[in-house]
Amino acid sequence: MKIMKLALRSWIALTSVFSFMAAWAMLAHAPKPVQGKSISSSSSAIAVTPLPTLAPLPPLNLTGNTDGGSFQLPPITIQQAPAAPPVNMFSQAPVFTTGGS
Amino acid sequence: MNTEVVLAAVETTDAEAVLQATRLLIEDCERRFSRFLPGSEVSALNRSAGAWFSTSPELIEMLQQSRQYHQSTGGLFDPSILPDLKRAGYDRSIDEIRGTGAARGPEPREDRPDFQSLEIDTTGGRVRLLPGMQIDLGGIAKGWIVNKAAGLLSEDLPNCAVSAGGDIVFKGTPADGELWQIRIEDPWDSAREVMRLGIGAGAVATSSVVKRSWRQHGVSRHHLIDPRTGEPAAGDWVSVTVLAPSIMTAEVYAKAVLIGGAGETPRLLQQEPEISFFAVKMDGSILSSFELMESFDEHKSRVLQ
Repeated sequence: MKIMKLALRSWIALTSVFSFMAAWAMLAHAPKPVQGKSISSSSSAIAVTPLPTLAPLPPLNLTGNTDGGSFQLPPITIQQAPAAPPVNMFSQAPVFTTGGS
Repeated sequence: MNTEVVLAAVETTDAEAVLQATRLLIEDCERRFSRFLPGSEVSALNRSAGAWFSTSPELIEMLQQSRQYHQSTGGLFDPSILPDLKRAGYDRSIDEIRGTGAARGPEPREDRPDFQSLEIDTTGGRVRLLPGMQIDLGGIAKGWIVNKAAGLLSEDLPNCAVSAGGDIVFKGTPADGELWQIRIEDPWDSAREVMRLGIGAGAVATSSVVKRSWRQHGVSRHHLIDPRTGEPAAGDWVSVTVLAPSIMTAEVYAKAVLIGGAGETPRLLQQEPEISFFAVKMDGSILSSFELMESFDEHKSRVLQ
């Protein structure tokens, strides 16, 4: 009886040690988990580039020339605007007022 | 004209020169046709009553058109009401009267010749007012000037509009939409509108008893004289807006419809079936006769409410 108890205790102890060691080994070689949305330096990452800086507009030249008093403005570069939502046909045209005078 | 003038155009070329030319045309016309300027052609014509007076082709043209409108409106449009305007106190510019009140009148009304008796010699370039006749072209000159200005402007800028105190000619189409937008003012509150319209090429004019009004010995007076009585019109329509193919027709009939009121409007509309009108009554109610107008180019007027 004493011999059987001793053998059983030894078996439990050995299997516990082996299980622990096996689990340790498995965890030690498992791949690392991904943390949030951190950007990696791999070739498949999304590159973020800063927005272009608009050049300042040139000042208006309001001095008259000799051409009958008309003003000649310097050319201004037009930036293409983003696509606009559909516009009511009456929202852009100038509005005239009539009411007597 | 004692009013604001607006020139608007869709620019396809350099507009500065034609805008300047149009502005000079307007200023020149005002110098010639204003009765408040002693040196104007109209003032000189009035002083010549009873004798032949050499006049410019432009004044002859305006007088001929005035005579036609006088006939078609049954006399409701009458440029010879200047003595009645003065009796009502409108003997100076409206800004002066508003500041000081009417200085004269009311005085007894005197007989005067019928406007149709005006004599025009187109070959000789001269006009004769019968003795006692005095004319004021305020009921047609603004439209005439706007029409000429729009014609000049549209030679270079086919899509344009010219407005003088709310008498407006529209040519072509605006830049960003199919129709020109018109805001009809509340006659009692210019900051408010009673209606918004979309219009194609054509003209619009409004007459109002509120805009040019003053006090004469404590009595409220305005500039829209009823030729039948010689007194400011006393109907229950406060303002009338007319849409028409021609700005002069719009301007003349805005006055005639307002002065004539509900009793005369059916006859006036029969005379000019191409016009539509919109009237605000004294009690604030609105009467309109807008219809599709086939005489406009490819556009038709629409009520946007």
